[in-house]
Amino acid sequence: MERLQTDILILGTGGAGLLAALHAFDADSTLDITLAVKGLMGKCGCTRMVQGGYNVAIDPRDSIERHFMDTIRGGSWLPNQDLAWRLVTSAPARVLELENQHGCFFDRNPDGSVHGKPFAGQTFDRTIHKGDQTGIEIINRLMEQTLARPIRRLEEHRAVSLVPSADGARIAGVLLVEMASGALRYVEARAVLLATGGGPTMYRYHTPSGDKACDGMAMALRAGLPLRDMEMVQFHPTGLLAGEDTRLTGTVLEEGLRGSGGHLLNGAEERFMLDYDPRAERATRDLVSRAIYDQIRRGHTTPAGGVYISMKPLDPADVRRQFKGMVERCADVGFDLAAGLVEVVPTAHYMMGGIEVGLDCETGLAGLYCAGEDAGGVHGSNRLGGNGVANSTVYGGIAGEVMAAALRGEDGARTATDEAALAAAAERVLYPFGQPAGDLNEIRLGLLDLMWDEAGIIRDADSLARAAAGLAELRGRLEASGLGDQNPAFNLTWHDWLNLDSQLEVSGAIVAAALARENSRGAHFREDFPEEGALETSAYTRVCLAAGGLETESVPVAFTRVRPGESLIPEEMVAE
Amino acid sequence: MASGEVTARIWRGGTEGHFQEFRLGYRHDQTVLDLVTEVQRRHDPSLAYRFACRVGMCGSCAMTVSGRPRWTCRTLVADVVDKGAVTLAPLTNLPVIRDLVADMTPFFEKWRKAGGRFEAGETPAEAFSTITHDDPARRAVDAGIECINCGVCYAACDVVRMRDDYVGPAALNRAWTLVNDARDAGGPARLAQVAEGGCLACHTRQRCAQYCPKGLNPTEAIAGLKRRVTAAALKGEL
Repeated sequence: MERLQTDILILGTGGAGLLAALHAFDADSTLDITLAVKGLMGKCGCTRMVQGGYNVAIDPRDSIERHFMDTIRGGSWLPNQDLAWRLVTSAPARVLELENQHGCFFDRNPDGSVHGKPFAGQTFDRTIHKGDQTGIEIINRLMEQTLARPIRRLEEHRAVSLVPSADGARIAGVLLVEMASGALRYVEARAVLLATGGGPTMYRYHTPSGDKACDGMAMALRAGLPLRDMEMVQFHPTGLLAGEDTRLTGTVLEEGLRGSGGHLLNGAEERFMLDYDPRAERATRDLVSRAIYDQIRRGHTTPAGGVYISMKPLDPADVRRQFKGMVERCADVGFDLAAGLVEVVPTAHYMMGGIEVGLDCETGLAGLYCAGEDAGGVHGSNRLGGNGVANSTVYGGIAGEVMAAALRGEDGARTATDEAALAAAAERVLYPFGQPAGDLNEIRLGLLDLMWDEAGIIRDADSLARAAAGLAELRGRLEASGLGDQNPAFNLTWHDWLNLDSQLEVSGAIVAAALARENSRGAHFREDFPEEGALETSAYTRVCLAAGGLETESVPVAFTRVRPGESLIPEEMVAE
Repeated sequence: MASGEVTARIWRGGTEGHFQEFRLGYRHDQTVLDLVTEVQRRHDPSLAYRFACRVGMCGSCAMTVSGRPRWTCRTLVADVVDKGAVTLAPLTNLPVIRDLVADMTPFFEKWRKAGGRFEAGETPAEAFSTITHDDPARRAVDAGIECINCGVCYAACDVVRMRDDYVGPAALNRAWTLVNDARDAGGPARLAQVAEGGCLACHTRQRCAQYCPKGLNPTEAIAGLKRRVTAAALKGEL
């Protein structure tokens, strides 16, 4: 096994990973910084896929407090308030940095000010954007800045295990698979950032990039770290509903379509959202997804089993201009988004939950930091559209600075690796080569259906028990399945196996947390406990993988800045 | 439900290799990426290909489809089947890693070499610029900025094939957006960086513009750079 030494190892090259690398380098250019990513830099992962935009309170009529309260209320009082506060207060400077240091060029109003568009669940039009391709603009600019600096890139390197130090006191390094050759590579690092992104790809319909498999959260679970809010899986209301055997199915049609006036229609082409919420299509993602799921369960569906999105209330020419990317994508599979009806279905989009982190992205394992979708706490029960890329870029930058500062304070000595743990991790990653060829696709389809049907938009104790049993059965099948191709070089089937390994691990955490929460908040809806429970005694779930299996506990939310019923928005404070 | 059958001739191996044939059914809404996925999942688990976003935002899945470079995630099988067959190979003008996977390293190295990144200058501005979309220079930026660096134009370009030092259409397209970005502090040095081995080498065959899946026109961007380079040379700025 090849060994490499670096100061800072960053896993992931989305908004969090790239900003961490840039900030760490700009803080101390003598540091040896290594970026490792499962695909090509900036190309895999989900920041690039951001269509909507970036929430930031920069309009003089808006306020930091308003952005904060929208985030807390959207998350039904579960967010870590200090994390949410740091997000909203740091976002304006980060956006300015993206524009003036990295070269992003967001859309402008006719007067030259930065344009904010309306997004669901927000009381101000604060979602800044670059057309409907905001993520491409951000990631391309960050990718270029990274290329221009002496930052080591390990592309198509998949992280498989966080390896502790010999004394167990901190992280010592990360075991990776170099995908092109299939060789194992161990990178020793003084600090590691986990920024692989979440991605609930274990559901039948899902939006994330196809490389996503919750590897980061799975590695954290195996390292014994606590994860929070894992029951909170956000379903985006409008995923494209194409055929079963096309990877386009489940991919997201952006929120702005509803925000700007698009309607949802059931199979009878009747609008239904007003029956569920006075905000209709502009209600939060959780409410809209549940309403659509309810229509589906009542059988009011389109031929393919979903509902329609209709942009007919708007001028088709405007739709084509404003949502160019979406219109083109629908046209490719035969739908006319601007003037016709497009079949959609709720689709698993984002994991609000993740590794428990502190304000400086620190985790429970010394030397390991975490930012972006891998980290939990900012969004609580429901993420506002536009808060995802804000979160990854704000906290990625913070993590870079914090890691650089932490290493400046140390003498540079490395900690010895727990060699037995490293050897065990290496043995585990090669395990499937020793098994007889199995049908991994059947296991994958079984997982997708199981999680969608039993642990999806609406759950109860019985369905979650079936999910847990089903996961155990799938785990048994995976362990008995090999690859049918013994060449490890760019072996996608090996990576399919490792993806399932991660997905099963994290699915278990989702199901355990969903069983533990006996009320309904945000994205989590228990049919057997439909009430949200007292807000004053709000608690979040914590799940850990212990020797005996997954353990959950309920942790009271600390209302450090505002209590339920209160507001930090000046106008609302007067009204009280 | 199959809407047709196709013989897929798929490149196997590295730089040296051969085509292997698979007889497959396909549906009207399946893409070429779906077709190779089908092969790997159900026919031959050893097939290597690259993809990520699956919706035309990352460009990872670009391949040579019946002789033409294109995104496979947004190309319907039905649109490319010719006489019941389709031929799939990795992108040309790049080294091959395995089967359908090209090594993109030279492409990004040339992006860097062509100065493809925003220069903030010594002191980055402290306020947002107020340049609107009506501004002629910003219109030129907006026209080219949506490139997702998929490498389709690079694979399509004859000059790239003939000249190792040519940075290629995508890198030059990016340079042109930077030259037009009033906020950029790159100055005349940018033009010097993209002259030799850059825009002056372009033969204006326009295959980049013809094949760009985003409908961008790198040829026009390169023509713009040529004019600026010539003007700067005449003024003695290069």
